[in-house]
Amino acid sequence: MRALLRDLDGLSRAGLACLALLVLVALGSVVHLGGDPDAIVGPRLQPPGPQWWLGTDNLGRSMLPRVMEGVGTTLLLSSVAVLVTAVVSAGFGILAGYRGGYVSELVLRLVEVLYSFPAVVLAILVAAVMGPGQTAALAAIVLVTIPLMTRLVRAAAAGVARRDYVTAAVISGARLSRVLGRHVLPNVSGTIAVQGTYALSVGISVEGGLSFLGFGVQPPQASLGVLIRQGGTYMIAAPWLVAGPCAVLVVAILAINVLGDGLRDRLEPRQPRSLT
Amino acid sequence: MILELDDVTVTFASGPPLRRRVHHAMRGVTLHVAEGETLGLVGESGSGKTTTSRVALGLQRPAAGTVRFEGRPFPKRRRELAGRMQAVLQHPHWSLNPRMRVGQSVAEPLVVLGRRDTAPVAEMLEHVGLEPELAARYPHELSGGQRQRVSIARALVTRPRFVVFDEAVSALDVSVQGQILNLIKDLQAEYGFSALFISHDLGAVRYVADRIAVMRDGEIVETAGTETFYTAPSHEYSRRLLDAL
Repeated sequence: MRALLRDLDGLSRAGLACLALLVLVALGSVVHLGGDPDAIVGPRLQPPGPQWWLGTDNLGRSMLPRVMEGVGTTLLLSSVAVLVTAVVSAGFGILAGYRGGYVSELVLRLVEVLYSFPAVVLAILVAAVMGPGQTAALAAIVLVTIPLMTRLVRAAAAGVARRDYVTAAVISGARLSRVLGRHVLPNVSGTIAVQGTYALSVGISVEGGLSFLGFGVQPPQASLGVLIRQGGTYMIAAPWLVAGPCAVLVVAILAINVLGDGLRDRLEPRQPRSLT
Repeated sequence: MILELDDVTVTFASGPPLRRRVHHAMRGVTLHVAEGETLGLVGESGSGKTTTSRVALGLQRPAAGTVRFEGRPFPKRRRELAGRMQAVLQHPHWSLNPRMRVGQSVAEPLVVLGRRDTAPVAEMLEHVGLEPELAARYPHELSGGQRQRVSIARALVTRPRFVVFDEAVSALDVSVQGQILNLIKDLQAEYGFSALFISHDLGAVRYVADRIAVMRDGEIVETAGTETFYTAPSHEYSRRLLDAL
């Protein structure tokens, strides 16, 4: 882990630091570090001041704890969704890449069906079927992120499957589970990690979009999307309501993408020492 | 006979469904490898050498013909052959899992067989001329020649009856090639395994093979004892190959 940190360039380290800060902020909100997000603390629509650092919203609630809670909700929802995506995509992608042939075709065609929907349309469709709420947002993120990840893991696994150490293991009589678990999975784990970070940023933006449209997380629970939606109503009278959560959303997505780039350079180098 | 291929044909289909083209990777190939013998298989790229090795290892099912290992057809499940046949493959760079320590790689055939005792690993590493301490290293810390020695150790750790060497020395430089070929000969004298030694390098094959088969466009054009082949090749294609040497 320390070696990994050392190999990351400055930009990715900054991204990692931002992400860590956001996680800390989210954890802080659990213990009401910035105050109770549901408590009415003053007049409505106050600009930022010493008592309420990010102003107050249309009900007189302080925005600081609201944004902190929102970061937590959004990050947690996206992370859980990305974990689900990673497990599903790794499973199908590795099997498809290793087996090839009709297994691969089947997986790819299924994934292409998902891929053919624009992300937001797919997310709205899911919300319409399941009813708006956190589960819908979670399912939407999973369905939006699965296609890309599965395709890339499949491609990586197909490359690994042709390598001599995999053939040698098969010749030795290793079971499929051993071949996939000991030889293929560890050698595509870099791809999974990198795609996982990208999927996390996609997840955050899907949650934001879906909740903004009212199909995702429902108020009074705060998420970045919910806050932007509520703030949008008062954008002229109280622009700080929308500015805070928007800034956090941008920083979060940027930080994760920058970190993903750094991880990619570190974990998926083209080919080590191609001149040997 | 350890391995018998009788009239084996392998075809690959390519192209779209209605204009399917059939490519014959092997046409009616008959090969026999006797106990303790090394059969050299030579031929240019695309002549079907690697397909032959895949058939011999049971990785590729022939379209026609029979394959028998130790006098019996291949079992349905590969696992029943575990540890009895092994291979040393082409590329030293991809021959070892970069995420596994050398010792784990060498121990794998034993683990697959369910053997817990990994004492043979250190012994085997010494036999192929490597320090047992290398077991704790990762493949990227080894040279090409060392990696190929590790591959050989992995192949021999279960004391197989039959080993396929598919272009096992081709990617190495000439002096290392010589060392590895010597090592293969020494180990064969010690363990007495049969081998199918595949190479496009006629010089390397001459050094280790007892008999030589020449392959061209999926067919065996000549099979002869090594001395006969190098002194008086009977097929015109063999003569051309030797002239090019």
